[in-house]
Amino acid sequence: MNAPAAAPKRAKALWYENPVVAMALVVLVLGALWALAAWRLGFSSFPGPVAALRALPGLLFDPQALWAMALSLGRMFIGYAWAAVFAIPLGLAMGRSRAVHEFLYPLVSLVYPMPKAALMPILMLWFGLGSFSKIFVIAMGVSLPLLYHSCLGASRIENKLVWTAQAMGMGAVSRLFRIVLPAALPEILIGCRVGVVMALIVMVSSEMIARQEGVGNLLFTSMDMAQYDSVYAVILILAVMGVVLNWLFERVRRRLTRWAESGDDVAIR
Amino acid sequence: MPESTRTMAFRDLPGKQENGSASIGNGKPPAAPVSSPGRGPGRGAAASLKRFLSPLLVLVLWELVCRLGWIEPQLLPAPSSVMGRLVEAASGAEFWHDFGITLYRLVLSLCIAIVLGVVLGLTAQLSRLSAAMLDAFVRLIAPIPKIALYPALILILGFENSSKVALVVADATFPVLMATWAAARSVDQKLIWSARAAGTSRANCLWKVTFPAIVPTVLAGVRVSGVIACVVVFLAEMIASTDGLGHMLTVAARAYKTVDMFVPLVWICAVGLGLNALIGYVQRKLDHGG
Repeated sequence: MNAPAAAPKRAKALWYENPVVAMALVVLVLGALWALAAWRLGFSSFPGPVAALRALPGLLFDPQALWAMALSLGRMFIGYAWAAVFAIPLGLAMGRSRAVHEFLYPLVSLVYPMPKAALMPILMLWFGLGSFSKIFVIAMGVSLPLLYHSCLGASRIENKLVWTAQAMGMGAVSRLFRIVLPAALPEILIGCRVGVVMALIVMVSSEMIARQEGVGNLLFTSMDMAQYDSVYAVILILAVMGVVLNWLFERVRRRLTRWAESGDDVAIR
Repeated sequence: MPESTRTMAFRDLPGKQENGSASIGNGKPPAAPVSSPGRGPGRGAAASLKRFLSPLLVLVLWELVCRLGWIEPQLLPAPSSVMGRLVEAASGAEFWHDFGITLYRLVLSLCIAIVLGVVLGLTAQLSRLSAAMLDAFVRLIAPIPKIALYPALILILGFENSSKVALVVADATFPVLMATWAAARSVDQKLIWSARAAGTSRANCLWKVTFPAIVPTVLAGVRVSGVIACVVVFLAEMIASTDGLGHMLTVAARAYKTVDMFVPLVWICAVGLGLNALIGYVQRKLDHGG
């Protein structure tokens, strides 16, 4: 018996098992803890949640801060798109062909534990101070999960599908895009969702290291100018960005792969 | 039944940065590609040669490009000169001080993260309320880029060890937590029922039945956490640069010493790969032992 045996007990959901209610409760508890800690410590550099929320409109209506956020997000999506264009076909090829797998896998596993954002100083030497180095580093960070998940998806496809297409005279390239890609789509989309969170992380950390413009820089400039309320407000904005992006991608993923999922979306996802 | 093999895979853990690449570093291909020629047991040497073929090829190409003078050494130093500098740095006490500090932070925060992750993951088994709360907590907090918390942690805890350790713990706890949770849910309920029927308390059940059953999956989570911890500790040391390997990189970057920039990068990669191999070894030992 492989199925989670707790399933039959969950017949009737209790009021706190509604995800929205549970999340609201968690936010309330965390906010209360934050307020309590801020009040107990009493540092001027550690304002409570109310002060941070009050600094939020000031940031959201400040054209400079908005521009920084738009720049960061723009770079993030360009980097993400690059990674998708390169990493997904490569991952599919890795999943289907032993030779490609044997060549690329050692390289990938070597660079896997490397902190990508730490390459910023070197990339800035190569590509200058502009946006390119930041886009590049984001693309590097995103391509690993994309590569991994598309490889996994492609290697799990039923061989009969591919053999049939081959027998009917389909070429290798069009097989990759017309048979393997759709069949591996559910797994690829999981990689896409992991990748978008990854993109946000690399974006913030690379901007914290390079410190020219963007959200990461905004954080540290407000810290240097002792505007502690806005430091926490920026953190809140970034947190909301992470949650919203993740939620959006999850929605899209479920919509696109309804045909593949068997509705086993239990608690953790 | 292809679905049953998927249930324990890492995709069941919520989207956390590197958990997607969870098994990229674990030494064996995620799944065998189709066109696999027969790979007998007697071909170990040839297989290991193949594993190092492409990294060697890249290194040789890199060296060649540098030797031929196509790229200025100021931009991209040759691997041989990086190797030279690695040896040179390893003979100085200053390097080992930085290395030790990084390792200390890494190990300390990884230990805290493992304990925290396992304890939190197991509390979800105690009651429906705790499960619902933990679910909401993970959904909310896991996709947040934790590195954004770093300025706040610096403000509260200072520039020294504690803020860095706190950041790493915040990042490395989640893979362990999710692995624990996923594993604890899939423990055979009959085992727990029998233990309960024999008079074991709910909390005791967790310790005596659930915990031993989930260790292998938790180790897979620890493996992901280890790599994340390496990355985050390095970044934290670069951002609030006081000491450690990340600090070495920042110092070298400020002085435009390109060769010196590669030294800490090579080391942190080595530490990450070493940690990965170590946990993989423990995993395999456990597999054979029980």
